[in-house]
Amino acid sequence: MNTYRYLFLHLLLLILSSAAFAGENDTVFRPSARIGVDFSGVPRNLIEPETRTGEVSVDYEWRKNWFAAIEAGGASIEVDQPTHDYQSSGYFFRIGVDFNILGQHGPDHLDLVLLSARYGYGTLDHYASRAIITDPYWGDYETAFPEETFNAHWLEVGGGVKTQIWRNFFLGWSLRTRLLVSQTSDPAMDPYFISGFGKNRDGNFSVMIHYSLYYRFGF
Amino acid sequence: MRSYKWFLPLFFLVCFSACVDDEICEEATANPLRIGFYAPGELEPVQRPIDSLTVFGVGRPDSMIYDNAYSVFLAELPLNPNRDTTAFVLEFPLQTDTLMVVYQRELNLISVECGFAMFFELEEIQNTENFITSTTISISEVTNTFDEHIQILVPAPPPPDIE
Repeated sequence: MNTYRYLFLHLLLLILSSAAFAGENDTVFRPSARIGVDFSGVPRNLIEPETRTGEVSVDYEWRKNWFAAIEAGGASIEVDQPTHDYQSSGYFFRIGVDFNILGQHGPDHLDLVLLSARYGYGTLDHYASRAIITDPYWGDYETAFPEETFNAHWLEVGGGVKTQIWRNFFLGWSLRTRLLVSQTSDPAMDPYFISGFGKNRDGNFSVMIHYSLYYRFGF
Repeated sequence: MRSYKWFLPLFFLVCFSACVDDEICEEATANPLRIGFYAPGELEPVQRPIDSLTVFGVGRPDSMIYDNAYSVFLAELPLNPNRDTTAFVLEFPLQTDTLMVVYQRELNLISVECGFAMFFELEEIQNTENFITSTTISISEVTNTFDEHIQILVPAPPPPDIE
């Protein structure tokens, strides 16, 4: 049911965004590239201080309204509580394309409303040296998980906007729905947060929103 | 339009920071086995409350899970996280039965705040049939949901005296 809710949210946001940008028209095509820094790890770190994520991106418009995109970054988690500890460190990359559904941008109209498709790969090392299940009736259960490497491959679709805020600087968000297609089989412990993928929800999917600041290079 | 358009991303930043990351211990770490008591009905079994029910774990007669409880439709029993089987003694008003549950265990990291929780996959039930007529596994995954996992069929209560 959550899947449908997020998909509906995707569509609603894109429709709202398209309406906000409607009315602009330009037919001149000039290739461009953007580099971006994802700062969605900042609010995540405020809410969940144990989690740290970082990500950069590069995109290049090789054909009008079509962008090749690469995103890469890392994630780490460090938890130390009386009943448990958990350490995780990993990195990831995603590669794919964006399509500008506005179809009207040019030198004076650089805002984009994008549909995105990606392939992603993430790897991480994680372990828990203390995991205690408190049971007042039968007695506590205590165990540990040695360090283990976990790999995951996924596909994702989504959408978002990139809005010019000053000269060549852009602010943008994107909402992504991800589906795991392959992962390390029978891990001793499922990772809490897969680098680049996020928290694995029921059905091997995740939803994440990204906020980024971009700098555009015109050619 | 352009002068205020850049507020749009910021608007969504505020909205979705709150929407997506609000999982703070919403999933419980205690996952009891839930058993429901039923009696034969005309078409299908119907819930039957058990009066004067006492339940304790085998080997723990000094520690009651239910102590002479009344109107019990659904009993929540802790599975032993240290072993792959747990046995309980169920004392009904006139008879006593033993229920043994066999399962597999899986440890899950629920959240960084709440830590780990044990999930169970029920494999088999064995029981005596002094008062219990039969047992059925209705849902085999014992996780952090509120499902009923086992149905216990017992005789229908005697009809009330009519004077």
